[in-house]
Amino acid sequence: MAGTVEANAERILDRVSAAGATGDLVVQEQSSLSLKAHNGELEEHKVTSTRVYGVRVVRDDRAGIAYSEAGDAAALDSMVEQAVVNAAFARVDPAEAVAAGDTTLATDDAILCPEDPTSVEAKIEAALYLERELTARDNVRNVPYNGVQDLRAERHVFATTGRTANSRNRVCSAFAYALMSDGEKDALEGTQRHARRFHEIDTAWIVDETYQRCVAMLHGEALPSKHYDVLFDVEHQADLFAVFHDMFSAKTARDGINPLRDKVGERIAVDTLTIRDAPLDANGLGYALFDDEGLATAATTLVDGGVLRTLIHNSATAAHFDVPNTHNALRSPRSSLGVGLHQLEVAVGDVDEGTLTGGEYVEIVDLAGLHSGGNPVSGDFSFGAAGFLCRDGERIRPVRNITVAGNFFEMLEKIAAIGDKQHWNPERSALMARIRFADVAVSG
Amino acid sequence: MLDSRVAQSAIDHAIALGADFAEVFVERNQVNNIATLSNQVRDIASGIDFGVGVRLVYGAKVLYGYTNRTDAEELKRIVSELAAKDRRDQVSAAEAFDFRTTTDIHQAERTLAKDSEVRDKVGYLFAADRAARAASNMISQTQGACGQREQAVEIFNSEGLHIRDTRHYTRTRIQAVASNGTEQATGMQTDGGLLGWEIVETLDPAESGAEAARQALVNLSAKPCPSGRMPVVIGNGFGGVIFHEACGHLLETTSVAKRASVFHDKLGEMIANPVVNAVDDGTLLREWGSINIDDEGMPTERTQLIKDGKLVNFLADRVGAAQTGLPRTGSGRRQSYQFAPASRMRNTFIEPGAASFDDMIASIDRGVYASHMGGGSVQPGTGEFNFAVTEGYYVEDGRIRHPVKAATLISTGPDVLQRISMVGGDFALATGMCGSVSGMVPTTVGQATLKVDDILVGGNA
Repeated sequence: MAGTVEANAERILDRVSAAGATGDLVVQEQSSLSLKAHNGELEEHKVTSTRVYGVRVVRDDRAGIAYSEAGDAAALDSMVEQAVVNAAFARVDPAEAVAAGDTTLATDDAILCPEDPTSVEAKIEAALYLERELTARDNVRNVPYNGVQDLRAERHVFATTGRTANSRNRVCSAFAYALMSDGEKDALEGTQRHARRFHEIDTAWIVDETYQRCVAMLHGEALPSKHYDVLFDVEHQADLFAVFHDMFSAKTARDGINPLRDKVGERIAVDTLTIRDAPLDANGLGYALFDDEGLATAATTLVDGGVLRTLIHNSATAAHFDVPNTHNALRSPRSSLGVGLHQLEVAVGDVDEGTLTGGEYVEIVDLAGLHSGGNPVSGDFSFGAAGFLCRDGERIRPVRNITVAGNFFEMLEKIAAIGDKQHWNPERSALMARIRFADVAVSG
Repeated sequence: MLDSRVAQSAIDHAIALGADFAEVFVERNQVNNIATLSNQVRDIASGIDFGVGVRLVYGAKVLYGYTNRTDAEELKRIVSELAAKDRRDQVSAAEAFDFRTTTDIHQAERTLAKDSEVRDKVGYLFAADRAARAASNMISQTQGACGQREQAVEIFNSEGLHIRDTRHYTRTRIQAVASNGTEQATGMQTDGGLLGWEIVETLDPAESGAEAARQALVNLSAKPCPSGRMPVVIGNGFGGVIFHEACGHLLETTSVAKRASVFHDKLGEMIANPVVNAVDDGTLLREWGSINIDDEGMPTERTQLIKDGKLVNFLADRVGAAQTGLPRTGSGRRQSYQFAPASRMRNTFIEPGAASFDDMIASIDRGVYASHMGGGSVQPGTGEFNFAVTEGYYVEDGRIRHPVKAATLISTGPDVLQRISMVGGDFALATGMCGSVSGMVPTTVGQATLKVDDILVGGNA
């Protein structure tokens, strides 16, 4: 029979120490409710519960990892033995040690994991409402993708140094994507919202917004191929930056494949661009009190006035480069020690909305192929896209079946303007001022 | 893996609560992943995933839950929670289990359960690294990966099915980075199959490393790609991702049943140029997307999708078949116990034709030869798809001119299928991972080199 997380962690780390190693343990627990509607009835009702243990051992300057979803003693003992065996094959790396410290950190459940007063019945009704209300609108053929989710996750970090960290987190969400048809024309558009508690999500807004997006995009056409100024909506601007997050990674720098590896202290963008990692902004759903080594996080300025100030580090990359740790360790139970951003923030510029949207530009509201069309090593990208041809802030006409292409690193040096307001992306994981990129290849 | 009495009690409980159908899916997934950087082992990760998925069907409604525990109380708790809103008087009876033996047509030899063979795999990756570096002093870095997975599944359902299967997946990947001091470019060679580490007997690390380096060097020398509508010749093997995205996803009952596919009402109609014949085949020996049985316990099969341009079949899982009236095709697949199954592709390809590569290139005044493709995606409802060119060449006046940088091809499924005008004979398959409603599953794509007369190329020129 599986024991408590704390008891199992103690057993695992005792076994690590007994093997003559140091180590740390990441435990992830997750439970969720997922609901989807179809033809006026609940089509999917999913209830889940999982727990996974992942240990990293360091012995003789070699690190090995192993994980287990089984929580019985035999499985956990076997996991430790396997990690020790794996370490024996790994490269010698004095930099990858278990970080020092015996701190104890825990998040505040009242803020990050509040009780949700909305009942399951009300969430079911919300899922049905999204589909029903949209289906009733003119020209909506169906609502193939819709749903309501309630995800609760708990993350524990334990280390042989005595360090522990624990965080509970809750995110509720709702989304709807409707298929609209009018003669030969069709459009599939939608939107999503996320919040700590379900009642903070305005499902009526999702219905209206999804419908308006379909109407706006239904008669979209291609546009002449040439270079345009481009503004992404905040959702897809955040997505675009996410494709190239590795530009900040000290791990890929250490691996010799980050093109910015030798650029710290140098200008990499226009002097109006400032980028930070803001893990402690509790308004975001990406809030992180500690990283995956269990170390307390802090805000980090990555790009300041166009100059790259630092890469993001864990204890191993910081030791390797002999620089301060930015506490951006990223490690799931199944993965090795890496680095990752917590909450990306693009600081405001000095351009008001009217100036930002002056003249002709293309507003991008949809990107396709983000997982395959960008190369973080070269910076080259080419994505399918949809949006609007705009002039002086007005949408002139919708454009579809277009592509946007370029080199992301070069685009940072060709930013025409940065807006003076910040916006959260729908997942509330990135807070960004909008950026007007100049001279981007758009094909139609 | 699961005591059949525990499975029976969970299913009996579901049927007693009025479910039309109940299923218990048990999975034990053993994994070993090796990553190298240059001539060093960067990471070795291993582990065990284990869990039980419970699916209840009430009419058209699917209820799904999962857990890591295997005791009857936990499974019955999940059943009760799932059925809480739908429980009714019992409408059917659960049949006693009748254990069926799976015919293993993809027997593996060097399995993970026997030995993870780390030294041998590392040796292979290091040999590939040496070959890549030997290609040019502009190769600045290499990364290698070898993943092996042994997935054991056991399926019980209320119709008396009790069946087990074990699947052995092995995949290698070599990535090379080329640098001229100011720019970087990448190349990649991937191989894989439904077999154990004996796959190494079919691989040459020198060839794999050299191929990754060749692609990286070509891309380093590439010029910006022209953009706009033009003819494109798409290379064989992974070029088949065009059919996977443009058509395959639109033929899954996952979207057909919701009328969220542009092809949902086109069965029996001409949807492609008559030169197009397309198949989804789960039975190909030791291919990456093959299976013995699907994740609902049905023996898999070969499904002809398009014959001489006419749509002749869809891919149907149990629920999709019930919703559409179509026959099941052994295509019910899922990433793991954490997902309910859905209709998914297996090994999907356009059958070879007779056109020559030279004739295809010679027929182009201004266009692109996309010799290697990356991944892509599709909106089933509109058929709009995209996929990435990872190695391409500009073609002018019937001749290949120079390499071009990464570009995206976009179109709609119905449009591109009509514009495939020439299909060659150099048929090949390639491995990939496909993401959809039931998670990421191994799939194979394939085709011979073919020509699309007109498609939008998104370049940076």
